[in-house]
Amino acid sequence: MKKKLLAILLSSAMVASLAACGSSSDSGADTAAPAADSAEATTEATTEAADSSAEASTEESAPASDYELTDLYITVDGTLTANVDSGQDKFIEQWEAAVSEKLGHPIKLHINQPEHSGYKDNVAQLLTTGEPGDGQYPDALIMSATMFKQYQNTGILWDMADAYANAEFQARVTLPLINENMKTASGELYGFAPTYGNGCVTYVKQSWLDAAGLKIEDIKTFDDYYNMLQAFTQGGQTGVIAAGFGKLDEAPYINYMPEFWQGAYPAIYQKDGQWVDGFQEQATIDALNRLAKGYADGVIDKDTEEASTKTAREKWFSNDQSTSEGVFTYWAGTWLRTLTDNLDKNEVDTDLGDDRLVQLPPIKEIKDTWGGYINREAPVWVITDDGDGDNAREQAIFDALLETMLDGDTVQTLWTYGAEDVHWSTKAESFTTNPDDPEKKKDYEYADGEFHLKQAPNDPNTVWKKNHLDPVLVIAPLTNGFVDNDPLIEEGNKFFTENCVDAPQSPSSESLTVIEADLVVDKTTLMNEVVAGKKTAEDAIAEYQAEWGDTIQQVLDELNAQ
Amino acid sequence: MITTHMLVIPCGHPCARVPTQPLNGVILIAKKQKLTTSTGRPIQKKPLGKRIWNNRGFYLMFIPVLVYVLIVYYWPMLGIRYSFYDYTLKKIEFVGLKHFQKMFSEKEFWKAFTNTLVLSVTKLFITTAASVIVSVFINEMANLFAKKVLQTVIYLPHFMSWTVTAAIFTLFLSTSSTGFVNETLKNWGWIKESIDFMHETSLWRIVYYLVNIWKETGWGTVIFLATLAGINPELYEAADIDGATRLQRIWYVTVPELANTIIIVLILNLAKVLNLFESVFVMYNNRVFEVSDVISTYIYRKTFLTAIPNYGYTTAVGLFKSLVGCFLVIVCNWASKKVRGRGIL
Repeated sequence: MKKKLLAILLSSAMVASLAACGSSSDSGADTAAPAADSAEATTEATTEAADSSAEASTEESAPASDYELTDLYITVDGTLTANVDSGQDKFIEQWEAAVSEKLGHPIKLHINQPEHSGYKDNVAQLLTTGEPGDGQYPDALIMSATMFKQYQNTGILWDMADAYANAEFQARVTLPLINENMKTASGELYGFAPTYGNGCVTYVKQSWLDAAGLKIEDIKTFDDYYNMLQAFTQGGQTGVIAAGFGKLDEAPYINYMPEFWQGAYPAIYQKDGQWVDGFQEQATIDALNRLAKGYADGVIDKDTEEASTKTAREKWFSNDQSTSEGVFTYWAGTWLRTLTDNLDKNEVDTDLGDDRLVQLPPIKEIKDTWGGYINREAPVWVITDDGDGDNAREQAIFDALLETMLDGDTVQTLWTYGAEDVHWSTKAESFTTNPDDPEKKKDYEYADGEFHLKQAPNDPNTVWKKNHLDPVLVIAPLTNGFVDNDPLIEEGNKFFTENCVDAPQSPSSESLTVIEADLVVDKTTLMNEVVAGKKTAEDAIAEYQAEWGDTIQQVLDELNAQ
Repeated sequence: MITTHMLVIPCGHPCARVPTQPLNGVILIAKKQKLTTSTGRPIQKKPLGKRIWNNRGFYLMFIPVLVYVLIVYYWPMLGIRYSFYDYTLKKIEFVGLKHFQKMFSEKEFWKAFTNTLVLSVTKLFITTAASVIVSVFINEMANLFAKKVLQTVIYLPHFMSWTVTAAIFTLFLSTSSTGFVNETLKNWGWIKESIDFMHETSLWRIVYYLVNIWKETGWGTVIFLATLAGINPELYEAADIDGATRLQRIWYVTVPELANTIIIVLILNLAKVLNLFESVFVMYNNRVFEVSDVISTYIYRKTFLTAIPNYGYTTAVGLFKSLVGCFLVIVCNWASKKVRGRGIL
């Protein structure tokens, strides 16, 4: 009996202790907004700040000077190329020194950089389960346009319209419409794009063209393009590879195979002022039929269906060109240099130097529909709102991070090129890349005061290219005259700028956000089945309409009513 | 006389003949029967408090384990309460059984549940059968060197991660020009068009089972080989004297001796049939969801591939999976008791 009694007592004690843990967890988790306490924990706010927080009953912006931000937590994707293996510690050190000086008080920067391909999932977890001040929850983070539209209406992002309007960099902004167009109908601005979006262009290997007796200027229509792919497809070689036939989870969806998609847009977009579902349109059916034919004819590499962007590009510039492809549509500008360098590294067409790749002007069918290659909606920086009704923390984050990011000088240079004397320098120096390989060896020599990029910290055989901001895409250029004059990159950017049009705006709808993942899975499955010849495009779209027709119509009604 | 298993109390005098169940230095009789001497005089147990005090060293050593178990196993379990909540971003609202209702009405969920059972159980039987056959084959090998080499070679795949295994087989079976199998079959003129092994719903499960056989058969032989090593050689000698052929020796001696072990292996593994994730996750794709999506991959997609996931729903699915798993463990425990006289718990 005593044993039973003791067992009951022990069990009760265990349950009680667990429940106690749970209840404390409940109170923390169930509280929708972190209170001033947690904000203080994050930022070690002063007493004055807490007072002002208590007094603030409206969403009026508090003066930044009332709030001292001492720790800034940001979450970034792979677009911050100064990662932990590439001198991020020096980037942080120099950023802290420069921004502390600007703000007049010390500030520490904490960077969380999850793996690029899992970034979206990681952010969802951080924002759902974390709280400001827990050491992981981001004060600010990067979001793609698609992600941004999904989070825009959730109340988790801070409306930075006032901060943006009053920012010092406004006087130097050359592309004001990039951010103005992101404002909601009621004028709120939940994200800030320091650059415009950029997009993909189609690269063709010059040696393959030569071998096939073709000239790039003769490739003007889809038929020309298709014939080129067929000419490239022989033995183990294939015409084109991409990361999926269409990337249906990320706007602008069609940019990796634009010649096949042409005027189609397999997602919800605005057409003549009305939101429509492009996946149900005839243009999508036609595009799927073209893709299916390309797949059946073998001009599209069979690995395309499952390939990630990394897999696709590595196969394309692999040193085994006998199983490679002639065409690859990828990002413009800096990537032209990167792809060329990788071909060089793999000793592919070394005799052609920087002329290994040619950029294909948009074919007629693309020009007649979209007007050119698609310039995607810009990725944005967002600031998380702690929901305490006081803007002091958020304004301080804006001032420390985004205001300084476009200061035109020291901090903008950090975000553009990286850390001084690590990624770039103005000191006299000379270095050699590939010193042990007489064919690839290249000497670089710079005079004192001459801005130049250094050897990449993670690969001394290549020259560093850029950090997070692309100097060509940025909305407010540097004022210190630091420019990296790589003619190939300039040529790539010029080509894209002359041949691009803006992507359609992504929809922002709560109902769409809820169903989007399942929708993407089903659409991708149907697309893949059609391309693999398992069903016709017409049957696939009919199946899609039967499964999703009503739900999509509700989303469209909701969007059109906004 | 109470049972057939008797012990003598270590006092040097057979004053108390009781069944085996020593505890805390005192010999106890079976459950619900009082401890008595041979004359029927009840033996008084020491009070519990005193017994704990007497064994305080052991209890002290047990405390860290208890704390570890509470923190690592039980504390996170409190999260199951979210299966009754809507949990998205900063919104946490009690919704009762809403998620369970949604789950049971979802076609996708039932598909995943069915696939889990089919894949797991089939895989279990196939890999066990393969392990038994290979074990018998190895056991019959006379050349010791060849035997050891073979054992080592077939153990190796077990130590490869599923990610690497999937990458190898995906490349091996690819329809592109780098796919060894398709290219070879084409070169031999056996096929004209590549076979899409990884994307055909009719082929995917077969490939999955074959990859599992390749990876796990070797490791599965360990326990069977141990059993085979313990078979009394006299049985084989008797079979030889009776004129049994080699196949008859296997069928009438080896297989019956292995039967108990086979059943035990099956029972022990049956309790884990719902724990299927990694091997499927690295091999499946959109086009074969119909035959490959299992509960764990379903939970993964709903949690990590959704823009703003509802953790409440996926917790509910996880809870359901755990309850079914728990039920299976109890059934297996019962079956184990029936077959080998002791449970697995």
